[in-house]
Amino acid sequence: MSGADVIGPDDRSPLRVEGLSLLTSRDILLDRLSFAVEPGEVLALSGAAGAGKTLLLRALSGLAPKGVTVLGDIHIQGRRILVTQDGALDPLRTIGAQFTELLAHQSGMDERTALRCAAEALERFQVPAAARRLALHPHELGEAMRWRAALALAMAAEPALLLADAPAAALDPTQRVRLLSDLAAWTREAGTALLLAGRPQPDPIQADPVPSGLADRRLILAQGRLEAPEEEPTPAPPPVEPAPSGPPILSVRDLRVAFPLGRSWRGAERWLTVVDGLSIALAEGETLALLGETGSGKSVLARAILRLVPPVGGQVSWLGTDLAAAPPEAMRRARGDLQILFPDPLAAFDPLMTIGAQFAETLESLRPSRSTAQSAAQSTADRAARLAEALEEVGLPAAVLDLHPGSLRPAEAARAGLARALLPEPRLLVCDEPAATLDGSERADFLALLQAIRRRRRLALLYATQDAAEGLGIARRALVLLLGRIVESADSVVLATGARHPYSRALIAAAGLDRPALHGDPPSPLRPPTGCPLRLRCPLAHDGCAQVPPTLDPVAPGHRVACHVAQDSAQEDGKAP
Amino acid sequence: MHGPAGTESRTDPHWRDGPWQKAGQRLTAHRPAAAGLTVLAALMLAVAAGLVAGGGPVGAALAAGHQSLSFTLLAGLGGAALGLLWAAAAVALGERAERAMMAPAAALTGLPLALALPLVGGLLGPQRGLAPMVMVAALIAAPAVAVIARDELRALLRREFLSAAQAAGIPNGRRLRRHILPNAVLPLAAAAWTALPRALMAESLASLLGLGLPAGVTGWGTAIGAAARAGDAVALAGPALLLALTLWALHGVGDGMRLAFATAFSTTAGGRR
Repeated sequence: MSGADVIGPDDRSPLRVEGLSLLTSRDILLDRLSFAVEPGEVLALSGAAGAGKTLLLRALSGLAPKGVTVLGDIHIQGRRILVTQDGALDPLRTIGAQFTELLAHQSGMDERTALRCAAEALERFQVPAAARRLALHPHELGEAMRWRAALALAMAAEPALLLADAPAAALDPTQRVRLLSDLAAWTREAGTALLLAGRPQPDPIQADPVPSGLADRRLILAQGRLEAPEEEPTPAPPPVEPAPSGPPILSVRDLRVAFPLGRSWRGAERWLTVVDGLSIALAEGETLALLGETGSGKSVLARAILRLVPPVGGQVSWLGTDLAAAPPEAMRRARGDLQILFPDPLAAFDPLMTIGAQFAETLESLRPSRSTAQSAAQSTADRAARLAEALEEVGLPAAVLDLHPGSLRPAEAARAGLARALLPEPRLLVCDEPAATLDGSERADFLALLQAIRRRRRLALLYATQDAAEGLGIARRALVLLLGRIVESADSVVLATGARHPYSRALIAAAGLDRPALHGDPPSPLRPPTGCPLRLRCPLAHDGCAQVPPTLDPVAPGHRVACHVAQDSAQEDGKAP
Repeated sequence: MHGPAGTESRTDPHWRDGPWQKAGQRLTAHRPAAAGLTVLAALMLAVAAGLVAGGGPVGAALAAGHQSLSFTLLAGLGGAALGLLWAAAAVALGERAERAMMAPAAALTGLPLALALPLVGGLLGPQRGLAPMVMVAALIAAPAVAVIARDELRALLRREFLSAAQAAGIPNGRRLRRHILPNAVLPLAAAAWTALPRALMAESLASLLGLGLPAGVTGWGTAIGAAARAGDAVALAGPALLLALTLWALHGVGDGMRLAFATAFSTTAGGRR
């Protein structure tokens, strides 16, 4: 695991790379990279998918794949450890055994010392009852706990250089950012150089890891070369739009969505409640963000509004029509007004039909032409023109109409999905993480396009996302969802600066790559805790939180929170003159 | 986005190909599948030529192949049809019926069903006809097809483009015709193909024991059994080799179809998510 060239004694950089190139017989994969990482420094390496981040880390740890020629110098002082993308642990052995083996091998520790050392390492990541977890196998731990164990294992070996390849990328932002902050704090303290690869999630549209203190420096890998990050001009704040007035066009009352889980052994029906009595109202041209992580119910709520998932209770009414009970013809008319963007736009196209055929099908279904037989040719020509126009609006050429979805890139598919949603000229666009498959500048471009189109067409927008910065930037008002309930609702501006609920604060902190204050892992939706659903993770929780679930009550005009602590402090503020 | 689609240089020369061409390319890119297809085509031709030319141990082996392959085709198609119907009915009839119908299919795939064919052959006695044997072989092949086909159909019904079609207000009947059926063709073909090697295997085993094809019809199994009893190594080699080659080719093509079609049209970009 340790491999190093002996170089000058005064050069103490754990990693110094000079003129590193990786070549195959056909391509130059990485072109003359030079950089160094100092002890205790955290270097974030970002770049779009396929830029070569993983390849670089593998080359640095001496694991360049076959057929790749490595040119240039890699100087490494001391021990280096690579944590791969999957955070692989040996599935057949307990965590403790893996610690003991590594520590015995690296530092000749006996078993008892090694286990004590392992428990201490896990405690650095706030793992409760760390010593007991050492007896478990990796599959007995959750995803988050497995990552804590993998990173603790790497750090326990006291490496001089830790290479982490997109660590914990699949975790929710509040867990991931906290884990990375803890790791960065530990490497700084131990004097370990840390190279963090992978796009920092949430995406670096606004969240640059450097100012937040997560990383000291950032390098961007693009087209095989390293680029220093350019100073991005801070985006001009969006023009403040007047609050839309008028009666709500969409109103959702006490919507409940649950899925049957079969019967328990006593014969009682078991249900997984995903959306639990939610009410929202949306006026013409209004924008509303739904913020929440995995299991918050934002995505199911978005689909239940369009009746893609059948609700078990409550009411969704569009312009006064109850959609849950609407007959097929009325539902089809409503679908022309309500359109949706899916999280994976490519998967939302039928792979066997051309884009044009699918556009035509949508148009024919939602805005059927009422032409007579004589003008059939005329209307066909109109239609073709209309499809091409729709593509032009999202910046795609008309040639895309003849392609099958398999020939599109993710960014093109996202735009084509937007064009399809706009075809029937909807009045409300429901977005379910529409940019989830896009990276970096492609993502920023797409969101800017979505904003521009929304303003031009005065669309109402319902935008579900787990990235608080993105949601608050797009929508005028925001709801924070936790386990199918609203925990906070306020204007985006208010929420960005003065969120009251600990969960909202954690989401917003994670979006800015600051360490969120929530500890532990989210509770299972099958067995939510009594009282407040957040209380097991909440730093402010007191005994009262376990007794009664908090209700959504106003703490200020237009600002409602479901949190006992926040409500109490709001009352005290109100009393104090 | 850098410039319009189609004008950029894309590294893959086939990026514009339609989904069916791409599926074909994926199938032939799988080496055992390509080799298996070639072998099967060559065998068909050789069997046809052998029937015309005839004579000698090679001619006899090819003539036996004619019987074996015809039986396999009949029983395999029957088994595939039965399995697909089974799966389609289970998925169409709702969750409870699906569980009730698929549980026996899953249980049957775990049993050594191939032994049922010689058993039936023995019970029917030497005067057995060809038709009941074909039917039993089809029944033997059906449960495995049903299990795979059900999984494929379930996966298909979860695909996002069906939600998109629903959001576009497309009625259920049209959704079935335009979106579900076309997308089901290739995965179900891959599932159906598994009936062929299964039927051939069961038939050869039963015939080897003299309990398969009726008297007077000589398949590869019959020929191998006869040669083994007579201790004739030369007569044994031909049918044994051809049988092994055919089974290998059938499995190779089946593997290739599963890899190329079962995930055939998942157009999701291979990102880490």
